[in-house]
Amino acid sequence: MRSSPGRRRLLAAAGATLVAASTVAACGSESGTQINVYYAPEQNFQSVIDQCNKEAGGKYEIVYRKLPRDADGQREQMVRRLAAGDTDLDILGLDVTWVPEFAEAKWLEEWTGADKTAAEDDVLEGPLSTAMWNDKLYAATKNTNVQLLWYDDTVTPTPPATWREMIDAAKDLKSQGKPYQILFTGAQYEGLVVTYNTLVASYGGKILSDDGKSVVMDKGAIDALRLLKEVASEGITDPSLTNAQEQQVQQAFERPDSDAAFELNWPYVYAAIQDANPDRAKNFKWARYPGIDGPGRVTVGGYNLAVSAYSQHKPESFEAALCLRSAESQRYSAINDGVPPTIESVYDGDDAEFVKAYPMWETIAEELDDAAVRPLTVVYQNLSTITSKVLSPPQDIDPESTAAELRDQLQKALDSKGVLP
Amino acid sequence: MTQVTPTFIPQDAGKAKSRKETARKARWTVVDVVIVAYALIPVLWTLSLSFKTAEAQTDKSFFPSEWTFQNYKDIFTTNEFIRALVNSIGIAIIATVIAVVLGTMAAYAIARLDFPGKQLLVGVSLLIAMFPQVSLVSPLFEMERQLGLFDTWPGLILPYITFALPLAIYTLSAFFREIPWELEKAAKMDGATPAQAFRRVIAPLAAPGVFTTAILVFIFCWNDFLFAISLTSTEASRTVPAALSFFTGASQFEAPTGTISAAAVVITIPIIIFVLFFQRRIVAGLTSGAVKG
Amino acid sequence: MSQTAEAPVTAAPPPKKGKPALSEGKKAERRLGLLLCAPAAVVMIAVTGWPIIYSVWLSLQRYDLRFPDQREFVGFSNYVAVLSDGYWWTAFGVTALITVISVVIELVLGMLLALAMHRTLVGRGLVRTVSLIPYGIVTVVAAFSWFYAWNADTGYLADLFGADAPLTDRVASLAIIILAEVWKTTPFMALLLMAGLALVPDDLLKAASMDGATAWQRFTKVMLPVMKPAILVALLFRTLDAFRIFDNIFVLTKGANDTSSVSMQTYNNLIKGLNLGIGSTMSVLIFIAVAIIAFIFVKLFGASAPGNDPGGKR
Repeated sequence: MRSSPGRRRLLAAAGATLVAASTVAACGSESGTQINVYYAPEQNFQSVIDQCNKEAGGKYEIVYRKLPRDADGQREQMVRRLAAGDTDLDILGLDVTWVPEFAEAKWLEEWTGADKTAAEDDVLEGPLSTAMWNDKLYAATKNTNVQLLWYDDTVTPTPPATWREMIDAAKDLKSQGKPYQILFTGAQYEGLVVTYNTLVASYGGKILSDDGKSVVMDKGAIDALRLLKEVASEGITDPSLTNAQEQQVQQAFERPDSDAAFELNWPYVYAAIQDANPDRAKNFKWARYPGIDGPGRVTVGGYNLAVSAYSQHKPESFEAALCLRSAESQRYSAINDGVPPTIESVYDGDDAEFVKAYPMWETIAEELDDAAVRPLTVVYQNLSTITSKVLSPPQDIDPESTAAELRDQLQKALDSKGVLP
Repeated sequence: MTQVTPTFIPQDAGKAKSRKETARKARWTVVDVVIVAYALIPVLWTLSLSFKTAEAQTDKSFFPSEWTFQNYKDIFTTNEFIRALVNSIGIAIIATVIAVVLGTMAAYAIARLDFPGKQLLVGVSLLIAMFPQVSLVSPLFEMERQLGLFDTWPGLILPYITFALPLAIYTLSAFFREIPWELEKAAKMDGATPAQAFRRVIAPLAAPGVFTTAILVFIFCWNDFLFAISLTSTEASRTVPAALSFFTGASQFEAPTGTISAAAVVITIPIIIFVLFFQRRIVAGLTSGAVKG
Repeated sequence: MSQTAEAPVTAAPPPKKGKPALSEGKKAERRLGLLLCAPAAVVMIAVTGWPIIYSVWLSLQRYDLRFPDQREFVGFSNYVAVLSDGYWWTAFGVTALITVISVVIELVLGMLLALAMHRTLVGRGLVRTVSLIPYGIVTVVAAFSWFYAWNADTGYLADLFGADAPLTDRVASLAIIILAEVWKTTPFMALLLMAGLALVPDDLLKAASMDGATAWQRFTKVMLPVMKPAILVALLFRTLDAFRIFDNIFVLTKGANDTSSVSMQTYNNLIKGLNLGIGSTMSVLIFIAVAIIAFIFVKLFGASAPGNDPGGKR
């Protein structure tokens, strides 16, 4: 069964060639300045990059280095390489909650002078605050995201404006045997923290102090706990609430035999339902996220572009980043990739193409005017892990003791003590 | 499986024998069907997801109501997936070959020879298998960056060999020790050199172990995700499991189940081929008769 | 290398109280042994030596990547912090539970599967290949296919347990996780056990059956003893891997309802929390737990362990 010596030598040579070929192939051609942008896989981002390369006119070439689809995976990749001082990274695509963390670790280059002015120009307030840390600008906003209330106008012709109204409507519909469920992201992950943060902001409460150094958990935060528990335990939500991430929420509403009446989710669901359930899509409408005394203060999501402190081509990187998130680029991405812009001028009612892709643009713009951000702190990841664990499952929340547990655990996290669950 | 045939065969025994034979075959067929069903039903679910249109992904039915090849077309529109397949095949094969060779050498020594540090080596290789890989990734990343191995084939091949060797050594030494000594001694007394004795006598008997190890190592390298995602950065060396997490859905929040299922089906095919080829070599009862002769 | 094990030492003086002089054959054998092991040992140590040492070193430090100025040597206080944490012990309990149950089931199922793969009269190649497919599929994809199957909104299995969403109930979700693990890795056991079966000499079995042994007796008295080394390898490696379960839990429940494992907690602390000190401590603790398991197995199986054979039979 042993191969003859001749064949073995041939195999060995083939193997060596394979290895050599692969090493050679790995070395790209490095003529001119190459700017590497590390960003999540977005379907049409390459077109934006191509356009910016054209505008650069040969001064530099932007290369798209993709990161994994999930946000945690992206962060893991970038953190590992920045911690090692990798010079390969020039522009970083940061989720809005990572800016304080990366800035404090000294991985980001501060935006100053003309670049700073250009990056701040005409940017909506909520998204802009996510790019700042300690009153310094560390990133240029690229896109934002806010959740809306989605409903079926054959079931509920007038959408509820507050949570109380929504809960009552749901109970009412349930007793009538109609679709009634309130759907939101309740799995043990970041989405639950987003929901809770929105509730706290709507109550006018605070989880952390403004400087991010101590835990507050005031009355508003405790009321939010109470509300979350109520919604989750009165039988008016999806039975798989504790397993529901955005996609499950979206699919639960799209299902032909869906029992859902209200959905709290990002705007992407609008395009999704057109294909998935064209019948229900005809009656699929949106409204502002419900609040406590009026519309809610919604948590902002989105991505910012930062320049790595280890980059070897900083001036070019700033310029490239500004192009990648310019008003034209944002408009293009908004229409083709479904990511809302951060620059106010893009929200133009006269722009037919934009309105067609975003019929809900006015509601989004309104919400962005009065948006909330997640606690800005260096240890946001710890906060998120702890909060999502303590709040899970939402049915088991006891407002007083859960608040006490959160206070205790979050303070430990802020002091960088303690062990994460 | 051969049968023991008595010397005196009555007239009807022939028919009785074949009836028994059929009954046995029928029983085994039932067992086989159960096994195939157990192994394949979840796989068929993935297969069916790969043939479903985007809308039908969420209907609860096991079979697609309308069949589409769009998912398969989508994964081959760009070069990325093909490049990832090439990387996977090359890296897995090279790592498997080297790991099996090195493992065979070490296992033979551990099973047959007496030398200082034998227990230590066995212990250390187990230690390497036991240490959680997640904490080893970052230091390994830094090492590879310093050596210029990051994002290259050797950069993945070396860790794969390292983490496959403990299993290889253990499995192969378990097989080597079961091979009777007398065979080797007999071959040498017949004038064979140690190398010839190894090649002609030991190696064929160790074949079940070698091919089992090869299959397990190949599957490990093929399906590894942690190292693939941490030690690669571009298409130059990214393997398929890592490439799966770069597939885009229609939006940031929608996992592209259709294309991922299609990709999963495609990358299982080389495994099937590999196993189909090698499982034949894991044959039964090679030692029987060898000692007598 | 001489053909006889102990070549007579001619004019040498009788061995003193110290080590006896080695014969040429013995020395050559040692050289060969070391030579054969050298490449494997070099590769393994070169790749993992520094990372493991560095990891252990980190576990003795307070080191949070986001507060690089607060890095300091703290001895064992990380270990105290982790071992007195409630979350750690819950995760540990869940991990141990999943490990024990899934390994036991896999051993039994794996043995049955191995017997079938080895002895079936019909479609042997097909059965062997098909049985290995679950092991050959990418873990995350398999986990996702189970997730979609069990999810109340999209799955064909969801209604099996009645109205409640099975993935949101602790006991049901643990059962589903174990099912996913067992389905995926039983072929690993089965393959090793089948190769072990291949070593059982047919004539021994024939002789036993002619002596009137029942199938069960043939199994326990003839097959099992010969298979002991293979069983040890299968059990050992499968348990080591089972204890470090991550992907299936992460995809199916994300650790909700206290179904998190120690590996998930390590990931959370090391990668999400960027707390290299605590994360490394957890890795070392997992390693110690797994080492204890390995030690127990090796002791149980005694001489069947590799390297326990004194060798030197040249």
